[in-house]
Amino acid sequence: MKAEKRPAKRGSLRRREAAAGLLFVTPQIIHFFVFFLFPLCLCVYAAFTNWNILSPKQTFVAFRNFQRMFADPKFWIALKNTFYYLIPIPFYMVLSLAFAHYCHTKKPGERTFRVIYYLPYISSIVALTLIWKWLFNSQYGIVNNFLALFGISGPNWLGDPVWTRRMIVFMIAWKMIGITSIYYIAALKNVPVSYYEAARIDGASSWQQFRQITLPLITPTTFYLLLTCLIGSLQTFLEVQLFTEDGGRNYGVASVIYYVWQKAFQSSQMGYACAAALVFGSFIMIVTIIQFVASRKWVYEGE
Amino acid sequence: MKKRILALLLALVMALLLAACSKSDGQPNAPADNPASPAAPADKDDKPASEPSGEKTKLTFMGWGTDAEIATFTTMIEQFENEYQDVEVEYIVVPDNDFDTRLQTMIGAGQCPDVFYINIDWLMKYASTGSLYDLTAYAESNDIFDPDNVWNCLNKVYRYDGEYQGQGNIYAFPKDVSAFPIFYNVDLFKQASVTPPTADDPWDWNDFIEAAKKLTSGEGDSKIYGTGGYSREAAVWSNGTEWVDQETLTQVKITDPAFIEAMQFCADLTLVHGVAPTPEESTALGDYDRFKQGKLAMVGAGTWSLADLWANCDFEWDVMPWPVSPNTGKTEIWFGTAGLAVSAATKNPEAACNLAAYLAYNEDTQRTAYQMGQAIPTLKDMAYGEFVDAGKAPANKQVLFDMMENTARLATQSRTFNQEWFAEFNSNAAAVYEGTMTAEEYCNSVAGTCQQLLDESIALKAEYTID
Repeated sequence: MKAEKRPAKRGSLRRREAAAGLLFVTPQIIHFFVFFLFPLCLCVYAAFTNWNILSPKQTFVAFRNFQRMFADPKFWIALKNTFYYLIPIPFYMVLSLAFAHYCHTKKPGERTFRVIYYLPYISSIVALTLIWKWLFNSQYGIVNNFLALFGISGPNWLGDPVWTRRMIVFMIAWKMIGITSIYYIAALKNVPVSYYEAARIDGASSWQQFRQITLPLITPTTFYLLLTCLIGSLQTFLEVQLFTEDGGRNYGVASVIYYVWQKAFQSSQMGYACAAALVFGSFIMIVTIIQFVASRKWVYEGE
Repeated sequence: MKKRILALLLALVMALLLAACSKSDGQPNAPADNPASPAAPADKDDKPASEPSGEKTKLTFMGWGTDAEIATFTTMIEQFENEYQDVEVEYIVVPDNDFDTRLQTMIGAGQCPDVFYINIDWLMKYASTGSLYDLTAYAESNDIFDPDNVWNCLNKVYRYDGEYQGQGNIYAFPKDVSAFPIFYNVDLFKQASVTPPTADDPWDWNDFIEAAKKLTSGEGDSKIYGTGGYSREAAVWSNGTEWVDQETLTQVKITDPAFIEAMQFCADLTLVHGVAPTPEESTALGDYDRFKQGKLAMVGAGTWSLADLWANCDFEWDVMPWPVSPNTGKTEIWFGTAGLAVSAATKNPEAACNLAAYLAYNEDTQRTAYQMGQAIPTLKDMAYGEFVDAGKAPANKQVLFDMMENTARLATQSRTFNQEWFAEFNSNAAAVYEGTMTAEEYCNSVAGTCQQLLDESIALKAEYTID
């Protein structure tokens, strides 16, 4: 009796589980179709039209948007600036790993530091920008007054695009250390203690342990962070919008996403903006694919 | 079992979410809060269709603004609702730098508010794409206001004929109007024994420089500057020239010697005469804030600042007109305004028009607006009458009225389809003020790009205009 029933029960259980599983992924799938795939298709189509949100008039313009964009010096300036915003990534990743290591070894004050470091990430960017504007005010800000103590006359952070870019780079690093170190702390916790014990018996120094055990074992996290941080930095937008007007002097602070936004909403050329977004999106995708391919060489994937 | 319940719950949440997303606005809620619906507004018969059906007409109204402006408009909307008891207004506030984005998205999604603020720069964009309700017929036959009692400049600015802004059909009523005079610190003037100009004896640029020199004093933290940055519009226009030719608005004219002269004059206030803050000092502390702290004697500012100055200045201040150009003997300056537009897609055009017109021109709402220091009244008789009688600063209100009647006009970039060419012009103008480029070098360097962007904006207008 029992033996007969079991397979039937298992089958129905599997079916039930499959149904439940399907239900669980349905929201994600719907989300993917409605908010990702559909807009993406729309964007590809719109890139070849002169669509603007307001006008029902919409005509096919072939490659005009792309031609204009590549001929627009502002697009290239924005692209150059966007690459500039990638500079902080290696720095804050190293810093956050160091910080994570510090926390992992249960040093005093670890919890307090963790909160302090994590705070900027969860704060509103608008509020942060306001604070930074005050900190970096060329005459009255703390930063320049601090520099003045050492006889350095601080730069015009908010007026000179070169320095505004540098400031934004600092800000990105400052903001990201908290969240990346959380990932690293989790990764460090997952490294089996037995490896270290074995290494210690063999007489490995702590640097050797870190170099030979820790670093290789957390490469999946490093890879993930590298990927997301790169994509995140390439999409820098709010800092530009909040710190400058029209992208700063000579467009010197604007990022590509800012350029896209300006085209879409300030000059209402949604089709053009879609073209720019498409090109830049494809670029991000290529970079990501390259990273994935290269990752096979250095990311540890377990035995 | 547990799993199934969970899955069901999840599905339910999903369904609710989806329903919330696709929520259509068609369903009128029962007016629960006002059971004793009015039989009709207390006043006369000619008020539009106020059927005592018990169901209120709902309007959405979207604007931006400071806390003070929001408070003012909340009061003004209450005044409207008291007058039109069958209408209920939902007031949505969106930050101004997000407003255009939001409005376009809402229109694109078919969720446009019935009445909304419109920046004068965007009028053509929205009007040419058929997003705005044509108010011409309403303006001619309405009983809320009399166009003769409205500042001349305001009757024209919100017109658009498909080609030029300033003529044709009316697409918005003014939310406010602001003159842009020079505000000056009376105390500093007295200390430096400088007498402000009068209407009969105006300053020219040289008088202005002389006065500013006398008013400039001190060093370091106690530095007091004679003037803030000089309005480029005032300088350029008074010098008899323009960014773009005024007949066709197609030719960039910034390489005109008179233009270059005017721009160099503005920059030389800092570079040669040292009477105005440098660009770097201005980014550290804006001219207007410097003025409020008593560290700047003269600053160009809009009358939207009145309430702020009433509350936050511990010195006496007044207004004066912009100096005339020594070459022409004339002065010109821009005026500021934002509009109240009605959506072309509104379901209640009558009520929506009433709301726009009431906020723009009704005596009660205008009184509220000027008393709260938001603007000068749009109604001339009220401006000349009780606004003057109220006795608040500035003392010399005639300066403002002269501007509204005679010397003020709409900024050039507000009359082109988009403002990219103007942004390009401004993009590195600070280089002239820093002295790294002369006005001539700068204007020559950007003229080509400005012209190209202006051409593009003209082409864009043709492309987007619906017939």
